[in-house]
Amino acid sequence: MAALLRIRSICHKGVKPLFLRSSLFLRPVVAQKKDQDHVLLLTADIHASPSRYAVTSSKAASRHWTGERLLSIILLGMLPTAYMFPGPIMDCSLAAALTLHGHWGLGQVVTDYVHGDFKVKVARGGLLALSAVTFAGLCYFNYHDVGICKAVAMLWSM
Amino acid sequence: MALLLRSLARQGLSVTRAQSCVLYRHVVPMGTSAKEEMNRFWAKNTRLNRPVSPHFTIYRWSIPMMMSISHRGTGMALSTGISLFAVGALVLPGDYAHYLELIRSLSLGTPIIAGAKFALAFPVAYHTFNGIRHLLWDVGKGFKIPEVYRSGYAVLLLSLLSSVALAAL
Repeated sequence: MAALLRIRSICHKGVKPLFLRSSLFLRPVVAQKKDQDHVLLLTADIHASPSRYAVTSSKAASRHWTGERLLSIILLGMLPTAYMFPGPIMDCSLAAALTLHGHWGLGQVVTDYVHGDFKVKVARGGLLALSAVTFAGLCYFNYHDVGICKAVAMLWSM
Repeated sequence: MALLLRSLARQGLSVTRAQSCVLYRHVVPMGTSAKEEMNRFWAKNTRLNRPVSPHFTIYRWSIPMMMSISHRGTGMALSTGISLFAVGALVLPGDYAHYLELIRSLSLGTPIIAGAKFALAFPVAYHTFNGIRHLLWDVGKGFKIPEVYRSGYAVLLLSLLSSVALAAL
């Protein structure tokens, strides 16, 4: 709808050129052809999100994404390492990496399928509780019982 | 919007090389973040009670589609398994060795044990190998459709082989 308003305003040539700022995101709203000229120029009405004006210029989402990928790579490296060097340090690292990877993964599932402020809040709260209990349980197991690495070895020796 | 673009195309938009630039004459700062726009979309459409067009119920299933949802499915299943294990460790009486003894006392045949090991190993193997495939996509590799299928088949084969190998251990 904003696009239509823009088109109408441009057609009536009543648009004041707005100043340009450095842009993070560009949203082309409309393009107009100047038919008088031999050479055709594309002038676009662009919605930019400069850091000073944007509602959220925060890089949180982008950093979260990068964090997710880094954790995945770390977890990948932990698999052969845990096999070669089992022990309490490996157990703790695995517990932390597995729980966080699972927490972030399920977080994406919530983002994809759960909509509506209240439902999202409930889902995220439940997820946080689940992840907290999972981490607590794994730490408890690592401390009071045989630990993750040994547990897998014992299970596989059946 | 589409109408405008079509009319532009019809007028034969020809831009010479030197002038093939977009003039940033009219610039307006974005008022909303992506998250806000997504929330607005859902709020409006639920409020108006609009039906959702059918998607996976009518679209033809492909290997990449099936592998993608399986990646999510195995991830959720593995996460659930880990959480159940952790909760069990907290609330169940006795220690881990005790429960292993319990299973051993059932005297299950070797094929059943091997089958169970395969059933445990396969989701881990699949999610791991497909996870590597995802990471390769994240650095921009392997997006061509033949590549997507080839890497998909490689993941399936590797998952199967490694699960069989692990089950045999």
